[in-house]
Amino acid sequence: MLVRDIMTRHPMMAEPSMSTVDAQRFMGENAIRHLPVVGSGKRLLGLVTRQSLLVDPGRLGSLNLWEIASYLSSLKLRDVMIKGEHVITVSQDVPIEEAARIMVEKRVGGLPVLDDGIVIGIVTETDLLAHLMEMMAARSSGVRVTIRQPNVRGELAKLVAAIASQGWGIAALGGAVAPKDPQRWDAVVKIRNVPRDQIVAVLSQIEGHEIIDVREN
Amino acid sequence: MDDHRPSTPILDVRELAISYKTRRGQVPAVRDVTFDILRGEAHGIVGESGCGKSTVAFGIVSFLGRNGRIVGGRILFQGQELVGRSEEELRRIRGDRIAMVYQDPMQALNPSMRLGDQMTEVLTTHRGLKLEAARERCLEMLDRVYMPDPANVMQRYPHQISGGQQQRVVIAIALLNDPALLIMDEPTTALDVTVEAAVLDLIAELQRTFDTAIMYISHNLGVVARVSSKVGVMYAGEMVERAVVERIFIRPFHPYTQGLIRCVPRLGMDKRSSHLYPIRGRVPSPSNLPPGCIFEPRCDYARADCSQKKPPLREIEPGHWVRCFHAEEIAQTEWQVPADLAEQLARPAGYDPNAEPILRITGARTYYRVPSKKLLTRKKLYVKAVDDVSLEVRKGQALGIVGESGCGKSTLVKTIIGMEKPTGGQFDFMGMDVSVPVSKRDLALIRELQMVFQNPDSTLNPSFTVANQIARPLIRFKTVPRDQVESQVLRLLQMMKLDERYLDRLPRQLSGGEKQRVGIARAIAGQPELVLCDEPVSALDVSVQAAVLNLLMEIQAELGSTMIFIAHDLSVVRFFCDHIAVMYLGQIAEVGPAEAIYAPPYHPYTEALLSAVPIPDPRAEQKHIRLSGTVPSALNPPTGCRFNTRCPRKIGTICETEVPPWREEGHGHRIFCHLPLDVLCKMDAVVTVNQ
Repeated sequence: MLVRDIMTRHPMMAEPSMSTVDAQRFMGENAIRHLPVVGSGKRLLGLVTRQSLLVDPGRLGSLNLWEIASYLSSLKLRDVMIKGEHVITVSQDVPIEEAARIMVEKRVGGLPVLDDGIVIGIVTETDLLAHLMEMMAARSSGVRVTIRQPNVRGELAKLVAAIASQGWGIAALGGAVAPKDPQRWDAVVKIRNVPRDQIVAVLSQIEGHEIIDVREN
Repeated sequence: MDDHRPSTPILDVRELAISYKTRRGQVPAVRDVTFDILRGEAHGIVGESGCGKSTVAFGIVSFLGRNGRIVGGRILFQGQELVGRSEEELRRIRGDRIAMVYQDPMQALNPSMRLGDQMTEVLTTHRGLKLEAARERCLEMLDRVYMPDPANVMQRYPHQISGGQQQRVVIAIALLNDPALLIMDEPTTALDVTVEAAVLDLIAELQRTFDTAIMYISHNLGVVARVSSKVGVMYAGEMVERAVVERIFIRPFHPYTQGLIRCVPRLGMDKRSSHLYPIRGRVPSPSNLPPGCIFEPRCDYARADCSQKKPPLREIEPGHWVRCFHAEEIAQTEWQVPADLAEQLARPAGYDPNAEPILRITGARTYYRVPSKKLLTRKKLYVKAVDDVSLEVRKGQALGIVGESGCGKSTLVKTIIGMEKPTGGQFDFMGMDVSVPVSKRDLALIRELQMVFQNPDSTLNPSFTVANQIARPLIRFKTVPRDQVESQVLRLLQMMKLDERYLDRLPRQLSGGEKQRVGIARAIAGQPELVLCDEPVSALDVSVQAAVLNLLMEIQAELGSTMIFIAHDLSVVRFFCDHIAVMYLGQIAEVGPAEAIYAPPYHPYTEALLSAVPIPDPRAEQKHIRLSGTVPSALNPPTGCRFNTRCPRKIGTICETEVPPWREEGHGHRIFCHLPLDVLCKMDAVVTVNQ
């Protein structure tokens, strides 16, 4: 899975001459939190987030009401946007977890996707969450089981083999090191069209594995 | 899966009104048009010519010309207003995010530049890419549109590639900038049905991969049914109905949409079992609109209130919009053929399959001499436009000839009528030899063979009145005594459903359909035995097409004339003709009764043609057969079976080395193929309709 597969193509974009008042309304109306600012040929010039549109009260402190109004109305995106090289971007050929890492480490909620400096899409937290949802088959019904197993090679294979021996299919499979316990590993599987009790009966037989959560939707 | 993405439509047109300023004042060409296109959606816009489809498209990109202006409404593109923007801003948005593909690829391509230079220019200018990088991108994109040998194509000039390939290049150029919205205005209308099918497949695939929203304008209901997910129907500058594609075709509410669907023949319909119902009257001129509902003068359900108030576009069912006061009622009542229309409906001539053949062609060959490229050579080169064609046409029969362009349909007909000199073969017409050119023919023979052309504009003398045009053959052929010419002209006009007011009109004062009627009247004036029709309805709108087809049927019934009918629209041919010949590269591939051509056994070429026909019914399922490449050059046709280079059912070298035998299925159905008849019979039907 690469960024190109989950990004939103043809994102909404704005020009640097757009007033912040309009941008505020535009982002609100269309429910977007990141607005790439582009020049000719969709070349990225900057990025506007909701934060960019927050006005520093310190700058307004010395102004009276009328001056504030005129100051705000003269403000353009080029004045408030995160400029050019400061925008954190990503290319379409990186894996999605890499995009997630960048977003977590840089503490940003969205990355414009660039190709030779040109905006071809945007990837945001929402895209990643939507994909997580798909990876865990959140929208299809089935039994979701969390199994805690030793964090050593071959343990996941045991689990998969047990499921395969029954002829069941796996709708989703994921895993991570158990919270606060690096010796163990939590695997989550989703199995469809098999009764819950049957699944529990089979999976509880695996040596060294412990079912820590079962739920159905 | 995309429901987390912004739901703002890519294009949101609201109450758009566009007027043209003319000497006679403002002409409101488009009024109150509202629709939206979502991300990655293909939205079809259908309607007859002059309905404002293209004007809406031009309005979106503000190419309205000096006299056109948006006088009301809004156009929101990705949430931003386009109406009222400065030229400079619009140019940037358009260039970067909206692309357009027109009907004629040659008008979009610069004939004096190599294709590679035209393509790279887009990237070097708009994106400031380096030439090498741009070249790389262009090659990639040409590959994406399935252009064979892209590197070579980049070196060529537009005239050196075929029409279908040109359109691919135009689509590739349009996509180079990765537009959010692609407006396509009749992009496949100028292409052959097989090429059209491939281009439509390509559009559907690109839409998925690039997530591009597409506004697809077409007059062809079949094409729209194939590509779009939603359809808007336009009539006289207004949108009268809008819904998802299945609803428009299966349960239309608006009387105009219903009328449109009734006047196109579906594949499989024939003149004996069904009728085409033309819509009465004609589209009102935008400068002279009816005061109430614009469709009221032509509507079978019109009530008193229809002519007084304008109906609004309202949502009759979720997602289904219609502009009609009485839509609910109309949907419940079964449509009855109105009495006046029923009277006009032609009853097809009773054609007797055992009638005497009036035209018998054996081994016809028409070659065109072309200059050899070598300076010193004695070898003469010939384009074998018609090569060994044998045909029989019986009295009262309608024989259809179908095939891609360049397969020799028109040459065959021109040879029969004497406009081309045959190179060989016997041409026997009612005992007379018709291999002599028309200038040396006897007047009596000329009179018996007449022709209706595709484009009535170029065949009617622009300075002759209608009366003169029709009277001329009457006088020349002495069909009626001199003093009866006038009354005969009037009678012919009445047969064409035109009245005496048309007598003094000049061709430019007639609509396309009316011109074609005059053309037909002129052709039948001398009461010919055989009428040759070369694409007589393909330039006409569907409702006019239905009327002209009905007219031709009536003439056949009344005068008992025999017809040869060329058309590229296989549904029309199936509807109109008793017998059909499928031509490929100067030869007949399959010939037989109409119903036999459209059911197995098929010639592999017929099978491919049928699977390419766009069908105006989203329920119809077609086999997916796409021919690769184009018709090979007739200068040097493939050996053996001429179809072997493109045949999906090729069985081996025998196809390349030996001329195939005729497989006889009976009832005059013959297939020119190496495959044995029992294999051909086992083919599945190409089209199945799920009820």
